[in-house]
Amino acid sequence: MSEKLIHEANEQAARFFSRRHFLRDCIGGLGATALGTMLGGCNLFSRSGDGLPQSLNPLAPHAPQFPARAKNVIYLHMAGAPSQLEMFDYKPELQKLHNQLCPQSLLEGKKFAFIRGVPKMLGPQAEFKQHGQSGAWVSDHLPHFASLVDEVSFLKAVQTDQFNHGPAQLFMHTGSARLGRPSIGAWVTYGLGTENSNLPGFVVLTSGGKTPDAGKSVWGSGFLPSVYQGVQCRSKGDPVLFLTDPNGMDRDLRYQSIHAINEVNKQEYETFKDPEILSRISQYELAYKMQISVPGVMDIADEPEYIHQLYGTQPGKESFANNCLLARKLVEKGVRFVQLFDWGWDAHGTDEGLSIDYGLRNKCREIDRPMSALLLDLKQRGLLDETLVVWGGEFGRTPMQENRDGKEMPFMGRDHHVEAFTMWMAGGGIRKGFTWGETDEIGFGAVKGKVAVHDIHATMLQQLGFDHEKLTYHFQGRPFRLTDVGGHVINEIIS
Amino acid sequence: MTVILATGCGTRHPVDFSTEVKPILNKHCISCHGGVKQSGGFSVLFREEALGKTKSGHPAIIPGDPERSEFIRRLHSKDPKERMPYKNPPLNKEEIDILTRWVKQGAKWGEHWAYVSPKQPAPGKGIDVYVDEKLKEEHLKPAPEADKLTLLRRVSFDLTGLPPSDKMIAAFVADQSEKAYERVVDSLLASSHYGERWAAAWLDLARFADSKGYERDTKREFWRYRDWVIRAFNNDMPYDRFVTEQLAGDLLPEPTNDQIIATAFHRNTMSNDEGGTEDEEFRTAAIIDRVNTTMEVFQGTTIACVQCHSHPYDPFRFEDYYKLMAFLNNTRDEDTYGEHPRLRLYDSVGLRRVDTVISWIRQHGNTTAENNTKNFLRTLEPKIHAHDCDSYINGELADTKFLGIRHGGSCRLKQTPLNNRNHLLMMYWTGKDGGSIEIRLDSLKGPAIGKQALPQGRRVLDIPIQPVPGRHHLFFIFRNSSLGPLESVCGVEWFALREDLPGKGLPGYKPVETAFLNVVNNNPESVPVMVENPAEMFRPTRTFERGNWMVKGKLVTPDVPASLNHFPANAPRNRLGLAAWLVDKQNPLTARVMVNRFWEQLFGIGIVETQEDFGSQGFLPSHPALLDYLAYRFMYDDRWSMKSLLKEIVMSAAYRRDSHNTPELQQKDPANRFFARGPRFRLTAEEVRDQALVVGGLLSQKLYGPSVMPYQPEGIWQTVWSGEYWKLSEGGDQYRRAVYTYIKRTSPYPSIITFDGSSREVCLQRRIRTNTPLQALVTLNDPAFVEAARSLAGRMKAVGGNDAKACIRSGYKTAMLKDITPGKLDILEKLYNEALGKFRKEPEKAKAFLQAKENIQENPHLAALTVVANAIMNLDEFLSKS
Repeated sequence: MSEKLIHEANEQAARFFSRRHFLRDCIGGLGATALGTMLGGCNLFSRSGDGLPQSLNPLAPHAPQFPARAKNVIYLHMAGAPSQLEMFDYKPELQKLHNQLCPQSLLEGKKFAFIRGVPKMLGPQAEFKQHGQSGAWVSDHLPHFASLVDEVSFLKAVQTDQFNHGPAQLFMHTGSARLGRPSIGAWVTYGLGTENSNLPGFVVLTSGGKTPDAGKSVWGSGFLPSVYQGVQCRSKGDPVLFLTDPNGMDRDLRYQSIHAINEVNKQEYETFKDPEILSRISQYELAYKMQISVPGVMDIADEPEYIHQLYGTQPGKESFANNCLLARKLVEKGVRFVQLFDWGWDAHGTDEGLSIDYGLRNKCREIDRPMSALLLDLKQRGLLDETLVVWGGEFGRTPMQENRDGKEMPFMGRDHHVEAFTMWMAGGGIRKGFTWGETDEIGFGAVKGKVAVHDIHATMLQQLGFDHEKLTYHFQGRPFRLTDVGGHVINEIIS
Repeated sequence: MTVILATGCGTRHPVDFSTEVKPILNKHCISCHGGVKQSGGFSVLFREEALGKTKSGHPAIIPGDPERSEFIRRLHSKDPKERMPYKNPPLNKEEIDILTRWVKQGAKWGEHWAYVSPKQPAPGKGIDVYVDEKLKEEHLKPAPEADKLTLLRRVSFDLTGLPPSDKMIAAFVADQSEKAYERVVDSLLASSHYGERWAAAWLDLARFADSKGYERDTKREFWRYRDWVIRAFNNDMPYDRFVTEQLAGDLLPEPTNDQIIATAFHRNTMSNDEGGTEDEEFRTAAIIDRVNTTMEVFQGTTIACVQCHSHPYDPFRFEDYYKLMAFLNNTRDEDTYGEHPRLRLYDSVGLRRVDTVISWIRQHGNTTAENNTKNFLRTLEPKIHAHDCDSYINGELADTKFLGIRHGGSCRLKQTPLNNRNHLLMMYWTGKDGGSIEIRLDSLKGPAIGKQALPQGRRVLDIPIQPVPGRHHLFFIFRNSSLGPLESVCGVEWFALREDLPGKGLPGYKPVETAFLNVVNNNPESVPVMVENPAEMFRPTRTFERGNWMVKGKLVTPDVPASLNHFPANAPRNRLGLAAWLVDKQNPLTARVMVNRFWEQLFGIGIVETQEDFGSQGFLPSHPALLDYLAYRFMYDDRWSMKSLLKEIVMSAAYRRDSHNTPELQQKDPANRFFARGPRFRLTAEEVRDQALVVGGLLSQKLYGPSVMPYQPEGIWQTVWSGEYWKLSEGGDQYRRAVYTYIKRTSPYPSIITFDGSSREVCLQRRIRTNTPLQALVTLNDPAFVEAARSLAGRMKAVGGNDAKACIRSGYKTAMLKDITPGKLDILEKLYNEALGKFRKEPEKAKAFLQAKENIQENPHLAALTVVANAIMNLDEFLSKS
C-alpha cells in the first residue's frame, strides 16, 4: 500500500472520529490519547499487504481510563429470574413457616406481579450445605458449582425496582427500564473496542429456545452507533447471519470476488477521494476474515473429549453448555464481551416446567456443570484473572408461594421479587470466596450490603478500567452513561 | 481583594450572549449551577436566577459591576476552596475576559438563536446566494455540476428512494433543453414512489411498527397509518395540516376516517401485554413517550430530562414538562390488551346498518343524538376497561387484563358516571351457558339495577339498567352454579354506558335497536387511534415528584413553555390547540426543524448538524441565514408545501454539484459542511434493498396495504409467550419495497437493522451511518441479494449473450446508469474468467449457485455472470449515492 493511501487513511480516521463525535466529549477524557494511538500505529492486517490501518476500525482496541483488572466479560443471564431461595440464599426460618399465611406486615404497601390477597409462605425446596473454605451455602441443586464457591463473590442483597421481566431485563442490561439505551456490552465495546478484528467485539448466545423477554434490545446499541450492538451467534444455521456463502460459491471464489470488489473500490477512491470508500474496503476485508474465523470458533466439535466431559457439551445442539464452552473460546480469541441468555427460569408454578419443585431443579442441572466447567476451564488456561464472569437474573423470587389470580397453583411457584436476590461474580479482580450482603430470616428483604443494579454496572466498568461516571456518550444535548444518575462501585468484592 | 480585570472593557464590540457567553456557562458552570444542581443557591440557567440572591444573601452577578460581582471574583481566586470552576481547571484568560466584559456590559441575557422566530429574508436571495457567500468566506471553490447521469441517479434516489426507470433515463439523456433537469424533478415529485421514500424517513420519527413492543410484542394492525403517511406525502399535504392531523385529526370538525387514522401517529407508542404489568404504568410510559416525541419531532428539542428537574442547559422548567403532558394526557387509550380506542372500518354491509340507525335518529332525534351515535359507532368509545374494577371477591383481573369472576363472586367499578343512562354494554365471552350478571348500586347489598343472562359465546351484551343520576359505585355479581370452584363465569374486557336511541316505543324502533346492536357486535377491521376523554372522564395531570409517576405533585393545566412562542389566543387547550401552537408562524422551531431535516436527507448533514437538538448544547447552524430563509419560505411562500421546498433545494446549484473530493476540500471541509461539492454517502437501509430489487428486475410496483414478510432466515423470531411466526409472503409480495416490510420491534428485519435502520421502539431522529462487516455479509450473502444478483445476471445475458464483456458492460450500466471505465471492466472481466474456469471445472457448483434444475452447458457462463453481478451490487459506488 502506498504512503499516500496510508496518509489518507489517517485523515479518514481523524474525520471519522470527529464526525461521529465519538470523542467530542471523549470517551471520558481519554480522547486525545486514544486518537493518538490510532494515528500513531498503522497496523496493517491485510494478508496481501494492501490492507488498511486498523485506525479505520471503530472497534480497534482502546486503552481504558486506568489500568484494568479485567479485559473481557462473560455475562450469564438467567432470563425469567432464578430462585435465590433454592440456590444460594439459605433460609431455615422460612422452612418453619412453610404453608403458613404470609404475615400482613410483609404485604403492606407492596406490589407483586401475580400474588393477590394473602399468600402462603413457601419453605426452601432444596437441601443446603456449606462448602469450601469460605463456607458458602449452596443447595444440592448445584453440586458442581458448590465445589467452586471459593472462586466467587456472592452478592446476596441485590435489588431492582422493576418487577416485570421485560423492563427488569432492560434495566439489568441497559441501566434503564425503558427502551432506547445502549446495552452494557455495547458500552464496553464502545469504551474498549475489541482485540480480535476478525470477530465481533460483542457476541450474544442464547439458549432455552427463546430470546429474552425484552427482545433484542438487551443487546442493542441504543443511541450508540450500531457497530457496537451485540452480534447474535447461533448454534443452528449460520453462526452469524449471512456468514455462509451461497451454495456453489467456494471460499476461493469468494476471495476473488471480494478482491475484485475492493479493486474497483480503490479505483473509485482514486477518482472520488471519499475516505468512506477506504472504510468500505476494510470492512469487506473484515467480512472475509469473519467468514474464515467465525465458523472455526463457533464449532466445538474439535474440542478434546475431556473438555466435552467437563462441560457436558454435545456439538450441534443448542444448549447452555455449548454456549459456555463457546464463551470460553470467544474470550480466548479476544472477544471483548460475551453475553449468554438462558431462558426458562420463570418458576411461577403454572406448569411442571416452570415450577420450583420440578422445573427449577432441571434448569439448575442444565447450568450447574457447564458454568462450573467454564470457571475451571478459564482458570486452568489462566484466563480467569482477566475475565470477569457475572451470573444472575433480572430479579429474584418471593419467599411466598404464588397464588396467581388468588388461586392455588398446580405446582409450587414463587412470584417475581425485587427486594433481594442473589448474583455472583468471579475472576477479573473479584474477591474470592466472599459473600457480600444479607437478607432477613425469611429472605424477603435486604438487611445488609444492599446492591443496586447500577452498582453492578459501576463495578463491572471499574474492573474494566472505567470510572462509570466518565464513560459517557453525548446524545440529545447531554452526556449519557450506563449508570444514569446512580451507581456505586461495590468495593467490598474487589480483591 | 483587588480584582485584576482584563483591559479594554467596553471598548470592544458588545459580547454576544448566545454565541460567546452561553457556551462558557454550559461548559464550565451549569452542571453545578443550573437545572439539576444549584450549588450555593446560584444558577446560570435563567437571568432572574443568575441575578438573584444566592445562599450568601447577596447576588453573585451585579450587572455593570464586575469588580463587585462574586461570580467574576471567584474565577480569579487563588484559594482552591473558592476558585471556580470548583475542583476543575481554571477558565482561560479569554473566557474570563468574555464573562467580565459581559457583566460589565450589563449581563444581558440573549435569547438562544433557535428560540427567536426566523425573520423575513432580504429579497432576491436564494439558496445559492447564501451557500456561495459562505464559500467565499471560507475561500472554497464550488465544484461544477455533476454529470447528467450521476445527477439523475442522485435526484431519483433523493425524491423517490429508487434509481430512475429506463424510460426516464432515456428521456433525460435525449432531452438537451435547459428544462430537462427540472422536468425530471417534476416527474419524480409526481411519482407515487415519492411518498414511499419520504414516508420511510418519517416512520422513524413516528416509531411506526407492526407489533406492540415489550415482552409479548404481538401483532398490531397499524399499516393504515403507514399508508396515510405515504398518501399525505404523495398528495403534498401541507406540513401544517400534516402535523395537525397526526396530533389532533380526531378533534377537527367532522373529521374524516383518514383524519382519524392520522392520529395513530401517537398510538405508535408501545403497549405492554406482559402478565402482571399494570396498565396505568405503561399508559403513563406511553404519554411520556408522546410528550418527548412531540418535542423531538416537531421542535428538535430534547425535553425528557425535564421530567425530573429543570432542563440542565435550556430554558425549560420542570413544570413545563407536565403542562405539555396535560395536552396529551386526556385520551381514552389505557394500555389495554385490545389497544382501544380503535377506529372501526365497516364493510358495505356494516355501513348500511349504520345508515339504517342514523337515518332513524335523524327522523326521530336531534343532531346531538345523531352525532353521539355516529361517534359511538365509529370507535365504541368511551369504554370503561376491566382494569378499573377493584374489591374483588372470589375473582380477579385475570392476567392483569380481563375480569375473571367465579360463581357467586363480585367486583366493584368505582364512581361510575351513570348520569341517567339506561343501558350498560359489556364485552364478555364464556364457553358455558347458564351464567348471569347482576348489577347493584353503591354496595353489594344495594339495590339491583340490572340483571342479565350470559349465554355462551363472545359478544357485546346490552344490559338494560335503571337510570340513576350522577356517579355511583357499581357492584357486579357473577353466577353460574354449574361451574367448578376454579372456573370463571366469563371473561369481561370492557363496559360502556348508553342511552336509549330516540323514538323508543314508536313502531319500527325494535329493528333499529337490533341493527344498532348488530353494528356494535360487528368486528370490522380497525386501527388504534386517539379519542379524547369526555368531560365526565377527564383525567387531570399532576407533576411527578422527581419524575416518579407514583408520586404525584402539583395539579397543572395545559400550557406551552414560556421560552417559545405564545399559545395562540383563540386556540383550545387540547391537542388541537397544541398543534395550532406548533404550526403557528411565530413558532421559531417547527419550520426550521423540518427544513433542516429535508436538507440532511439530501446532503447527508443538516445545516444544524445535531438535528435532534436545536438547544444550546446542539451545534450552531453552519448557514444561519440560509436556514432562516428556507424556514421562512416554507411557511410563507410555499405555504408549507413539502414538494415545493424539496424542489427548490434540488434545483439549487449547491445540490447539483459534482461530488468528487479534492485534497484541499478534504483538509478544509472534510464533512462537506460548506457544500462546495455535491453529496456522496451510503444509501439508506431501505434504498439498499429496493435498489437491489430494481436492478434485479424483481421489484413489485404494488403500493399500499398490509405489511409483507419477505425472505428472512429461520430462527430470527423467538419471542416468548407468542405463537406468532414469520410467514413468507407469496408471489410479488416478497419483492415489495422495504417500507412495506413487517417490523416486529423485538426482532426487527435483519438486513434493515444492519444498515442502521430503526427498531422503531422510540422516535429516532437521525440514523448514524455506520460501515461494518455485517453489512458486507448482507449484500454478499443474504439470499434476497443473491437472488437479485442471479436475476441481474439473467438480464446481462439477455443483452450480451455469450460476449462476457458486453454482458458486464450492460450489468454495470443497469446498476450505475453510466458506462463502465476500462479499468473497472478489466477487473470484473478477470473475476468473470476466474469464476468461469471454476464453474466449468465443477459444473455441479454452477448448478447449485444458480439453483438450476439441471446441468446444462449454459450454466457456467450464467453462474460466472452472477458472481460478477453480485460483485457489482457490492461496489461502494452502487451502495452510495454520489
